[in-house]
Amino acid sequence: MTTSVDRRGNPFFALWRNSGGAFAGALRVVGFLVAVLVVVQSIIVVEARPQDLVTGFHGMVDIVRRAVPPDFSKLPKALWPALETIDIAIFGTLVGLIMAVPLAVMGASNVTPSRLVYYAARGVIAFTRAVPDLVWALFFVTAVGLGPFPGGLALAVHSLGMLGRLFAETIEHMDMGPIDALSLTGARPIQVFTHGIIPSVLPSLLGISLYRLDENIRSSLVLGFVGAGGIGFQLLTAMNLFQYREVSLLLIITFVIVFAAERLSALLRQKLA
Amino acid sequence: MLEIRQLSLCFPNGKRALTDLDLTVRAGELVIVLGGNGSGKTTLLRCINRTLTPTAGEVWLNGLNITHLHGEGLRRARLELAMISQHASLVGRRSALKNVATGALGRHFNAWTAVGGLPAEELRLARGYLAQVGLSGLEQQRAGTLSGGQAQRVAVARALAQKPKVLLADEPVASLDPEATSEIMRLLRHLATEEGHAVLCVLHQVELAYAYADRAIGIRDGRVAFDLARADMTKEAVNQLYVSEAA
Repeated sequence: MTTSVDRRGNPFFALWRNSGGAFAGALRVVGFLVAVLVVVQSIIVVEARPQDLVTGFHGMVDIVRRAVPPDFSKLPKALWPALETIDIAIFGTLVGLIMAVPLAVMGASNVTPSRLVYYAARGVIAFTRAVPDLVWALFFVTAVGLGPFPGGLALAVHSLGMLGRLFAETIEHMDMGPIDALSLTGARPIQVFTHGIIPSVLPSLLGISLYRLDENIRSSLVLGFVGAGGIGFQLLTAMNLFQYREVSLLLIITFVIVFAAERLSALLRQKLA
Repeated sequence: MLEIRQLSLCFPNGKRALTDLDLTVRAGELVIVLGGNGSGKTTLLRCINRTLTPTAGEVWLNGLNITHLHGEGLRRARLELAMISQHASLVGRRSALKNVATGALGRHFNAWTAVGGLPAEELRLARGYLAQVGLSGLEQQRAGTLSGGQAQRVAVARALAQKPKVLLADEPVASLDPEATSEIMRLLRHLATEEGHAVLCVLHQVELAYAYADRAIGIRDGRVAFDLARADMTKEAVNQLYVSEAA
């Protein structure tokens, strides 16, 4: 038997070849059992009780009945938090973008000034990305108090991690020919960055940033639950006060914001492509 | 203008790429370097523009030894040494005009050029360089939409914007059709004869050396196999370069 890799010395391969298919069949059974085990343990761990859905059905119907029609008289009161939600996302994305660009350059293996800087930048990117935005929001609420500002800061720091990683990967995959050519003309490193790297990757960076803005608008809706401003705070308050008609109005506004942001982001990214 | 003395390069893995190589390119001269694959032609250019540092020997540019320059000294030396590669290496989303003007960035360092701006005077001059390479009317066209020949001519114009004393060209016609090849070679010939640049050009096409070179240098196994004026370039001498390599 001819293969590109010589496996004749591999006892596992020898067993596979000499078993006449029985070994492969046994492996499939073991694989199937492992998959079943994984699913079953997850059902046990989450304490899944489908019967509760049946017994709780009346409760859900009751909530829906009390939530309609939406209370449109509360619309003027909901507009400011809605705007706040969008602005938290814009602020977070913009500040995250400004911080992510230099960090991405330092954290891109092909243009980083040194290995030490590379690992430091990658460390910051990994850490800010690993901590969820909700946790960052709790941290900033403690640090600067309640309101939209900690929400904006939370999204900025988390976006720094998300954008930093994607920007760094974009820079690592760009064509280095124009960059090297520019360096050889005697241009200084900052000029190579602004005249070579930025124009080469700008459409990708803008596309990624728009996608991030779209994501941040969704995130900023939830940040209000921990006191970081926006429509989420209104939603939580209305739910705690059993104001379900106001809740349904706020959910409609949320849907409109998310849908509009998603469509606008997709449209702009299409234009940039 | 450009003088190479006893240049040698040994890679960290022990492979010798260049050995005791001597050559001179004077102002107004077009010298073509010939040789088989892996003979050391591109390595020679990379030692001259100092993307590689030779292990022995010297590179003199306009009376200045640039062999061991680093940082700002090397950057200043590179202002006088333009490089044209096999691929035009333009910023695809920028216009042809702006790509040309970036060749002059090394002479203009201020807040405007640091944030991505280009000097108005250089943009004006860039129009002239584009006209010189026969691309008038394509100033605002995105570089990424140009044909291979047009892009290579923009690369030549960018090299002119640098206002160098020496032009290094590494297989500048390798991916071009015969017509575009003739255009680029005529342009290099013109830049040497009429503009007084010292041009050192690596080529694979022997017939272009017969047609355009003042001198041809054959490199084999990192050594100079011959250095002949065009009048002395016999087909036997050039063929010997490749025959010997095949053997």
